[in-house]
Amino acid sequence: MRLSTKHLLGIKHLNKEDIQLILSTASNFKDVLQRPVKKVPSLRDVTIVNLFYENSTRTRMSFELAERRLSADTLNFTLSSSSAAKGETLLDTVNNILSMKVDMVVMRHSASGAPHFLAKHIPAAIVNAGDGINEHPTQALLDAFSMQEKFGHLEGLKVAIIGDIMHSRVALSDIYLLKKMGAEIVVAGPPTLIPKYITEALNVRVEYNVKKALQWCDVANVLRIQLERQNQPLFSSLREYSLAYGINRKLLESLGKEITIMHPGPINRGVELDSDVADGPFSIILNQVENGVAVRMAVLYLLANRDN
Amino acid sequence: MKILLKKVLVADTNSSFDNSIKDILIDNGKIISIKDNITDNADKIIETELTVSPGWIDSFSHFCDPGFEFKETIETGAAAAIAGGFTQVFVLPNTQPIVQSKSQVEYIVQKSKSLGVTIHPLGAVTKNIEGKDLAEMYDMHASGAIAFSDGLLPVQIPGLFLKALQYVKAFDGVLIQMPIDNSIGTHGLINEGIISTQLGLPGIPAIAEEIMIKRDIELVRYTKSKLHLTGISTEKSIELITAAKAEGLQISCSVTPYHLFYCDEDLQDYDTNLKVNPPLRSKADMLALRKAVMSGTIDCIASHHIPQNWDNKTCEFEYAKNGMIGLETSFAVVNHILPDLSTNQLIKLFSTNARNVFQIKSATIEEGANAELTLFNRNKNTLLSKENIKSKSFNSAFINKELKGKVIGIINKGQLFLN
Repeated sequence: MRLSTKHLLGIKHLNKEDIQLILSTASNFKDVLQRPVKKVPSLRDVTIVNLFYENSTRTRMSFELAERRLSADTLNFTLSSSSAAKGETLLDTVNNILSMKVDMVVMRHSASGAPHFLAKHIPAAIVNAGDGINEHPTQALLDAFSMQEKFGHLEGLKVAIIGDIMHSRVALSDIYLLKKMGAEIVVAGPPTLIPKYITEALNVRVEYNVKKALQWCDVANVLRIQLERQNQPLFSSLREYSLAYGINRKLLESLGKEITIMHPGPINRGVELDSDVADGPFSIILNQVENGVAVRMAVLYLLANRDN
Repeated sequence: MKILLKKVLVADTNSSFDNSIKDILIDNGKIISIKDNITDNADKIIETELTVSPGWIDSFSHFCDPGFEFKETIETGAAAAIAGGFTQVFVLPNTQPIVQSKSQVEYIVQKSKSLGVTIHPLGAVTKNIEGKDLAEMYDMHASGAIAFSDGLLPVQIPGLFLKALQYVKAFDGVLIQMPIDNSIGTHGLINEGIISTQLGLPGIPAIAEEIMIKRDIELVRYTKSKLHLTGISTEKSIELITAAKAEGLQISCSVTPYHLFYCDEDLQDYDTNLKVNPPLRSKADMLALRKAVMSGTIDCIASHHIPQNWDNKTCEFEYAKNGMIGLETSFAVVNHILPDLSTNQLIKLFSTNARNVFQIKSATIEEGANAELTLFNRNKNTLLSKENIKSKSFNSAFINKELKGKVIGIINKGQLFLN
């Protein structure tokens, strides 16, 4: 089985079979990761560069670990210690790296569409590790993997995505993926943080009242307030945000039902999520992180096309 | 120089020869005779099948000179204009230094004298195009500025724009405004809508334009001044302008060829050549603009020729600069998408309406008149390639696109320029 695409630029470009293939491959890799020897030779002699034009802890470490578990050779690039900080263009940087015979590029970038731009100009396979406010496909895949693990299915699952929808690439990728797999979605948050045309564009329901969204859902995927991506005031204060849209134990207990809590991290504790919820019994936040490695192994393995 | 045009179709509603096939003899920049058959000798005899009309005018082009000569110079911009069939072009004041004084206006007027196309500077409305204080428009007008505009950075403060509209009444001047309220969708990159949501790009709502048009209409109603709105892009904008015109306000408007050809649905691939300001709007808006061109609500086609060098377009969409070159394809694009547009209407859009709005001498095709002519063929094709572009920049989404309609050349200032 092969993916229908050469790159993983976004969930938008995947079909249902691609997603199923990635999730089932990830399940195999998750088994591998439980063994005493966690390393497989699948990507021996494959060289992968991790280009992180934007800060990242979780995603970068997760990709790096996935690459090493697959025995790939890896190169790491971070903006602050590179020539890009001296004004080198993205295309120049990547072409220089490719001259050193690199097979795959994993890239995070603050501009939406940056990996699509690269894909037009270079021959290597590209994995989007988050581009601007567009997509974060491996996060959506690990979210789906974690939901499937917990519930056994995605079809018909009721998922509320809560918080800063407008500046969240996780929201867009999650919506594309869950829609393709037959889940139902409600997005909830302050009206200034929800794109005006989201219902027409993505066929999701909008709810401004978080409690109503929680009462409806099986899973709440709570998003980070992307303070670094907001260049104008979109809500009055973190305090007010927390009062109106933050999720705390009291709120969850008032629902009279159990819901699963997810978060792509890093958490603004006490803003969108209280500590006792993040660390509570219904949270699968750390499972998400664990599954991230297996999912990324699956993506890299499938894009490297080493199955024969 | 004696030029003889053989068997050409005259397209000029102001001429007694309109819609007839004639021979035209031009000598020393004057139309000497128009007859069924002229057998005189000439330095150049043109027997290509073509239509001849009064010279075309573009009211919104950026020649980037001085300051940004790596994108365009007055000479390369003029060559692009000639290739596009234009005999007169207005150039934006967004240069370095900004066109905001007599000396800057005179620099362009002087440079234009030796070129085949007449280049009219647009003077800045506000000092340094900062939108704070009025620039010396009276002096610039006296030195040759055709009209006034802050070009790519429209005047935001209503009180100041009101004063500007009043100020130019002293010499019956016209202001040109590209209507965008910068406080709405400030960080937007494309039209806000379904496509921007699906592509994860911040949007510029249509209301950013419409609210500015509403405001400017109110200001014109108050000042009774003349305003030309350029690059309008939404259906609602057309409605507002139609109503303002019906009321008798002196408001006119232009659209760009690319807003008629493309819409936001064409941005799926993050093509930076389609990153323009105002942004490409929805398909419904695009179709409404086409309809408004057909119906005559839109007065002029303005190329919004904005050159950008390679580096400014070959990069991440967010970092790419706005704009597209357009002079060389203006006519072919409009002719291609609107084949049912009458030739009369076409000439109004490209020439006569702009002459009326900006009080430019007519270029009627009559014996004894100055020869300021555009030669074109609506049925021949144009194919712009990187090799034949005259502009210094290549940022066009029409490269290698076959378009119906071809500019054959122009006759201006006693000279003949053939493509």
